[in-house]
This record gives sequence, structure tokens and C-alpha cells, in this order.
Amino acid sequence: MDTAANRVDAAAVKLMLSRGIRELTGASNDHDAWSHFISPGDTVGIKVNCSGAPEINSNPELVSAIIDSLIALGVPADRIYIYDRFENQLRIVNFGPKVAAGVKIVGAESSRGSILGYDPYTYVEADFFGEEDTRSNLIRIVSDTLTKVINIPTMKEHRAAGVTGCLKNIAYGDFSNVARSHQREKSNTYSFIGTLASVEPLRSRTVLNIMDGLRSLWQGGPFLQSPKFLFFPKQIVLGTDPVALDHLLIDMIEGKRKQEGAPSLFDRSPGHLKRGPELDPQFNSFIREPGHVEYASTLGLGIFDKDRLKDKVVEL
Amino acid sequence: MSILLAALFLLASPQSGVERITVAPADANVAGLSKAITPKVTFRRNVASATRAPWVDSNGWRYLRQPDGHFYCDAPGVAAATLAAAEAFAYDVPVKIRTDSAGSESLTKMLAFLRTVKEGDYSPLINIGFVDDGSAESGEFMNLLVRRNLLFKVVKQPDPKLDLNVELGSTQYPKSEAANPSLLAEKVRANLTDAKRLLRLYGSEVVVSRLMGHGDDVRLYLFNYGVARSPANGVRIRVLGAFHKQKAMQFDAPETKLIDVTVDSGATEFTLPELKTFAIINLAK
Repeated sequence: MDTAANRVDAAAVKLMLSRGIRELTGASNDHDAWSHFISPGDTVGIKVNCSGAPEINSNPELVSAIIDSLIALGVPADRIYIYDRFENQLRIVNFGPKVAAGVKIVGAESSRGSILGYDPYTYVEADFFGEEDTRSNLIRIVSDTLTKVINIPTMKEHRAAGVTGCLKNIAYGDFSNVARSHQREKSNTYSFIGTLASVEPLRSRTVLNIMDGLRSLWQGGPFLQSPKFLFFPKQIVLGTDPVALDHLLIDMIEGKRKQEGAPSLFDRSPGHLKRGPELDPQFNSFIREPGHVEYASTLGLGIFDKDRLKDKVVEL
Repeated sequence: MSILLAALFLLASPQSGVERITVAPADANVAGLSKAITPKVTFRRNVASATRAPWVDSNGWRYLRQPDGHFYCDAPGVAAATLAAAEAFAYDVPVKIRTDSAGSESLTKMLAFLRTVKEGDYSPLINIGFVDDGSAESGEFMNLLVRRNLLFKVVKQPDPKLDLNVELGSTQYPKSEAANPSLLAEKVRANLTDAKRLLRLYGSEVVVSRLMGHGDDVRLYLFNYGVARSPANGVRIRVLGAFHKQKAMQFDAPETKLIDVTVDSGATEFTLPELKTFAIINLAK
């Protein structure tokens, strides 16, 4: 990672991915490692995060390395889908020329607010603030096309959820009509993220999480509101447990915020609330809800207790 | 002679449907007519409000309050003019639409479309009876009910046959609550319960509906008040009751087909893939 030029070294990322997937599975080679999660007969969705594009998003170098691994495993390129909710954000990242030919790129909303890319039969119904449309529907290809999902969140602070990692990316990134859960300073992300992430078939099809921490944000997320909030952890984090991985993310963002003299993600003081752009790290528009990660553990989505986790750091 | 002509005109005056819509130039005389507003959506992102929902300017409540009224509507441009005609048709009120040349041209097509719609002896299907005291507060509250697709009719006194009756000034709905009509509409919705609602719409905040019934047949009118900005790319509709036959027609999209249709659990659901200005959906058992 060339931080001065903000450029990712594709060869280094490939090496990180290869080593990471082997360490995670205990396999001696990439083929056996990927075989733990994916079969050649699968149709694989790669759930990227493009909400901070073009400054911070799932790096095409990482996505490309994953796709190459899947193709090497025997998954045809035309059965690999890079997907996200908003087609315009995918266009900004422009994965097409940066990944293997034949891979499909699908945005659920070709125009903002369109419901046609969502499954009308799979939804979570909840009324937060009296909104008329109380449904959040699952992206249609997850229901009817994909057999496996690999989740590629970016490691960021999030002004409503506290952090946006595995759970937020797979939940808010796979369902329609979720922005309604925030209003004024209140966000319902505490319970809604876990609830969405536990919906079948999304839950059982999401077999692997690879958090992209080559770049990160410690304030103002999910968008890059100021370059001063960008930092470079130069890491990727692999795991099957989204709760465990997000706990690591909370620790990382908390550590960075402490270093920068910013309030904790868990701060709920009204004195730190102010509407508008989050350009001063002392203030935020919402009461953040990083507790959504621990709450998700109560839904059986993973383990929050660090004493019960195995965490292995490999430096290259 | 003039008395005779007037009498003949009255006898020939159309009593319902598309013939009650008049197209007129922008400076036409509107003496004696009540004003209807230009149908549209106002996006007011920078204005503090009780909700983030876009502001829909609909005449539905006005026409429900004065079903025997005679109206005029200034509706320049294609979107406003066609929406004004759709409202007049669906609420079956006489409206003189004052418009410009673009609006006039589109109205010619719109009226031709409306003439193809098979008329039936439909009556409004509603959940709520609203005792209208004629006040401005009641008007604004009815406006909110229409915009939220909370189906109501104006009643002189509470009707026990309805799912819910609302009277501002009653113990349950004190006048003071009308100061925040949005919150009051939420309360009415909560008291009615979504499960009892004859109609639900998903996927758009700018689509308003009117539900009509005749025997076992149901007719649904859908207006996209945001058409000047964009069509609604998918509206999911849930109508209480099992309707195995569905047919959609749309003014500016002749090939309109409904998708993802399900009939179960006492309700019929379907998606209109694209709503431009105005659609009519006929349902039958």
C-alpha cells in the first residue's frame, strides 16, 4: 500500500489473501483452502461495499484476487457476481476492467428507489418512525441466483451504526429501504442490522467474510467527508464469524479515535450531537450504535466474547 | 331563447367521467369555481419538517370534502396537466384544467385514454370514517390521510360499520393533536392497524391511490405525483381480499403488465414494474 499515492499493490494483496485463506482453513494450498467454502458448481456473489466510492470502497485489487481464486477453483467467471445495492456507486468504482472477463456486475437499484432488483417475497417488516413503506426486501439475486456469498466490507467508522463491517455490509447492503431506520439523532441500527443479517437465505449463503482494511476511516463514515479521517491499517481480516470480526473492527476504530482525541464510539452524550457534516470529530449527527455487534451475537450470528475467539495475526 | 339554450345545456351536461373534465387556456375565466392546487411533488430537503417524506400536492382530500364542487386547476406542463385530469377522473369531479400548449397536447391524449376506460358503478372502498367539521385543521388532516393512503370517506357522524371513525375534538382525537397532522395520521394508522388496511403500497413515497369496488370487482387508481422527476420504478401493492384476475392499464405505457403476483393469506399482492403518471388496475375474483 503506497499511502502517499493512496495506491494498492495488487501483487501484495494477492499474497495477503493467499496467506490469509490458508491460515484461516489450515490448508496447505489455495485450492484446498477455497474448497472449504466454495465448490465449482456454486454461483458466487461477492458483496462489495461501494458507499464511500471513489475514495474508500472494497478495493478492486482484493476483489480481483478473490475472483482469480474462484476461477482457479473451477467456478466459471459468468457464475461470479460482484454486487451491491446501488448501480451508480458500482459504476464509480468500475470493477469491470479490473477483474477477470465474464464476471457479472449487478446493482440492485439501477435507479435510486427502484424495487425491481429486490425479492418481493423475502423481507423484514418494521415500522420505525411511522413510515408508509415498512418493508425492507432482500436483493433478488441473493434469493434466486446465488448459492454462496463472500462478504467484502471495508473497515470504517459509521456515523449511525458506530462501525460498518461485516454485519452492516451484509445487512444494510443486501436489503432495500433501510435508510428509514435513521431519523434525527436516533438510529435503529442496534437491532435492525442483526435482524437483517439473520434472514435466510442470506445468512446461510454468506460463507466467508474478508474485511478490506487496506484503507480505513475513523470519523464521518461511511463516506469520506475529509481526507484527514482516512488512515491506512494495511490489513485484510478473514473469518467466518461476522460478529467476531466486527468486534476486532470496533477495537481498531476505538484505538484510532482515542489516538486522535475523539470521543468513544459508545459515547451517547447529547453534548456530542450536532446535525450536519461530521467534520469535527468531537461531534456526530447520530447516537452511534456499535452495540449492534454484540446484539447480533444474541441472534446466533457469531461470538462476541473475545475469550472464546481465536485471533491470529500474520504479518507479511 | 337564451333561457332555452341554458336549459338544453344543463340537460346535455355530462354527469360523470371524463366528460366532466374541461381543458382551457391559462387565462380562461374561472369565476364561480373552487381552486384546486397544481398536482406535483415538492422536494424540500432544507426545510425542517416532521418527516423526511417528500411533500405531495394532491387534491384528493379537497375532492372528497366537496364531492359536489366545481373546480379549476392551474396545471401547466405535461406532468401537472395529466395528473390533474387523472385526479378529476378518479374522484369524479368536474374540473376545468387551465394549461399551456404542452399540457393541452398531453391532455388530448389523456382524455382519449380515459374514454377507453370501461365505466362501472364503483363506490369508494374505505377503512375510516372522518367527521369533517369544515375547518382548516380537518382539511390538512384529510390531506395527510390521502397522502398516506389511509382510505377514508367524509361522514356526518361516526359509522359503526367502518373499521375506524375519527372526529377531531373527540376524546380520542383532541383538537390539540391536529397541530401535528402527520403525527395524528400515524395515530390513526396505529389505531386502525396495518393488518386491516384494505390497501398498502410499498416502494414509493409519492404514489397515491384510490380504491373503488363494485360487487366482487375492485378498481385501483394510482397516481405518481413525482412523474415530473421520474417514473416510479416498481410499486408493490397489497389489496385485502383474494383476486385471481388482475388487469392493468396505464395512460402513457400501453403494455403494462403486473409481475410477482400472489394471492394468499386473504390478500392479493403484485408489482407494477413502472408507474409513469396514472394507472388503473382492475381486480376480480
